[in-house]
Amino acid sequence: MSPFISGVGVILSLELRQRVRTTSWYILLAVFVALIFIVTVLLSFALSGFGSVDNGAAGVYSTVIYFVLLLGTLVAPALSGNAINGDRDAGTLATTQVTLITTGQLIVGKFLSAWITALAFLAAAMPFLVYAALAGRLRASTIVISIVVLALELGVVAAIGVGLSGLMTRPLFSIVVTYLVVAALSVGTIIAFTLGGLALQTSATQTSSYGIEYDSSGKPVSCSEPEEYDFQTPRFDLFWGALAANPYVILADAVPITYDSNDQPADLFGYFKLTTRMAQIPQDTIYSANTCVVGELEQYEDSPTARSVIESTAPSWAVGLATHLVLAGALLAGAWARTKTPAAKLARGSRIA
Amino acid sequence: MLSLMVSTELSQTDPEFGGIVVENVARSFGTVHAVRDASFVAIPGTVTGLIGPNGSGKTTLMLMLASLLKPDAGSIRIAGYDPFGETAAVRSRLGWMPDVLGSWATISVRDTLTYAARMYAMDKATAAARAAEVLTLVDLTDLADSPTRVLSRGQKQRLSLGRALVHDPSVLLLDEPASGLDPVARAQLRVLVRRLASEGKTLVVSSHVLSELDEMADGAVYLSKGVTASAEALARSRATARPWRIRASDVTALRAALIAGGIADAAIATDRTELLVALDGEAAASELLVRLVGAGVAISTFAPAVGDLEHAFIDLSSEESK
Repeated sequence: MSPFISGVGVILSLELRQRVRTTSWYILLAVFVALIFIVTVLLSFALSGFGSVDNGAAGVYSTVIYFVLLLGTLVAPALSGNAINGDRDAGTLATTQVTLITTGQLIVGKFLSAWITALAFLAAAMPFLVYAALAGRLRASTIVISIVVLALELGVVAAIGVGLSGLMTRPLFSIVVTYLVVAALSVGTIIAFTLGGLALQTSATQTSSYGIEYDSSGKPVSCSEPEEYDFQTPRFDLFWGALAANPYVILADAVPITYDSNDQPADLFGYFKLTTRMAQIPQDTIYSANTCVVGELEQYEDSPTARSVIESTAPSWAVGLATHLVLAGALLAGAWARTKTPAAKLARGSRIA
Repeated sequence: MLSLMVSTELSQTDPEFGGIVVENVARSFGTVHAVRDASFVAIPGTVTGLIGPNGSGKTTLMLMLASLLKPDAGSIRIAGYDPFGETAAVRSRLGWMPDVLGSWATISVRDTLTYAARMYAMDKATAAARAAEVLTLVDLTDLADSPTRVLSRGQKQRLSLGRALVHDPSVLLLDEPASGLDPVARAQLRVLVRRLASEGKTLVVSSHVLSELDEMADGAVYLSKGVTASAEALARSRATARPWRIRASDVTALRAALIAGGIADAAIATDRTELLVALDGEAAASELLVRLVGAGVAISTFAPAVGDLEHAFIDLSSEESK
């Protein structure tokens, strides 16, 4: 074992023992398992009412995954957001820094510990995921990719927390900022998308003509003049990039979609994916809503199927996930630079020990 | 007798010298100049006291010696290595006991020491064995399996010292090691500190309890407003008059003998059953003692009223405030 890894191992073991050996931690896990159990049971009953082939098990699976992501991102900041400045406050950071443990080992060890702690929630949810995956006869790719992306996202939150705890002096402040970053990614991206789309409206013209008189077979014999109708339409297509950074969207977009017999999405991931992909398609600025042609039955255009929408739009999860990983890496690197000893610069009002 | 020293004449460039060599070190935080110009040498096998008023830069200097803080100027060598170019070499030879007592609250005393040892790249078995040794050394065997949060202040102090000793360093920095200790624990600390010095380790001890330092330190470095006192200032302070405490069974006879010895009545202060007299240096004191004994006064106590360090501390503090 290389010296770097064994040093990381010492920090990891120390951190995990301090975290995991507390009663409150097990209570938290128990509450979490109880919640997932309730959600799984209720969803199984609710979704089986729709009479789909798998009795809604795919829906249960995707909901439980989202639930783990939600609770994981709610708990991880509290577990990681004071990793470094909390130790400094407790007077245990400097005594570690004077040993042969390097700053890199310290930060990597603390990050891994925060990540593993968050992954414990995923592990605790496993029985329910296995049940839903078996009942829904999910594809292996859906299971593997959703779990890997979920694990990565929990790691990103853990890294953001550890990074901010190294960059900021006060533990309370860094925990709150970690929560704000998680909120910005989960909710802020949706707000930015909605407000951005609504603010940048563009005018569109809709042309329509109607039949005035119809013959006995229902075909029009005379048509109205085409009427033009101007209106404002939001430009969501300009802001779909904001959604790409949303962890829920990344998760949904990464999982290969499963269609039902009508080419509609089979689970929650699919609906999220479809909704966010539709935002990529710009609204036509000139289009005809209804065209009356003498002697022809009025035709309503079919709206495009989920399959055609998804196949014609760009996958955004890779960009979103890469952005998250870069953000997490940058914050960890920043924490490293700030925590490095012998320290050349100290943040205002901070002490080394 | 203790001697105050600031030696710059030692051969500091000799890599075999070990110990601590500090030359013209400065460090500021923004506009605050915590340490302006510190120079001193600590020799292996000795205990050096670091004294100075609050806010004089003692802790900043200690942090620089502990390889945690980079000086803006000047050079430091710990056991022959540069803390900023050869950090790992310094850290493996350096033990630091901070003035802030922190411990991993839920971890047991034994495991705290084991983890500390493993942080010095010892394997698990070696670390556990070393932790057991250190437990005995700092007398925490009875509490070995208690979590550190139940320790009293004095016990935490001993744990902190144990952590600093876990890798058997050749240079030890102790920041306020005696604060919060009861008299018995202080005596034990003094014995331990002297023993470590006799093993050839270099110790730097900072403390506000100057009488404590007087008993354990071989020399002292005086730091004031971030500047270490020069050798001349210390020599001057040694030569200035300071009070001596004299006790005799017959106070009246003692007073008469002192006046006969040429000391003005007004210059003799009374402190309960003892008399205090200001004398210029040790030679004057010896001379007076010879005369008193010759005059047939039964002397039971004849000693400086304040310790060497306290005298230097007060003298230099008042000198610089002029």
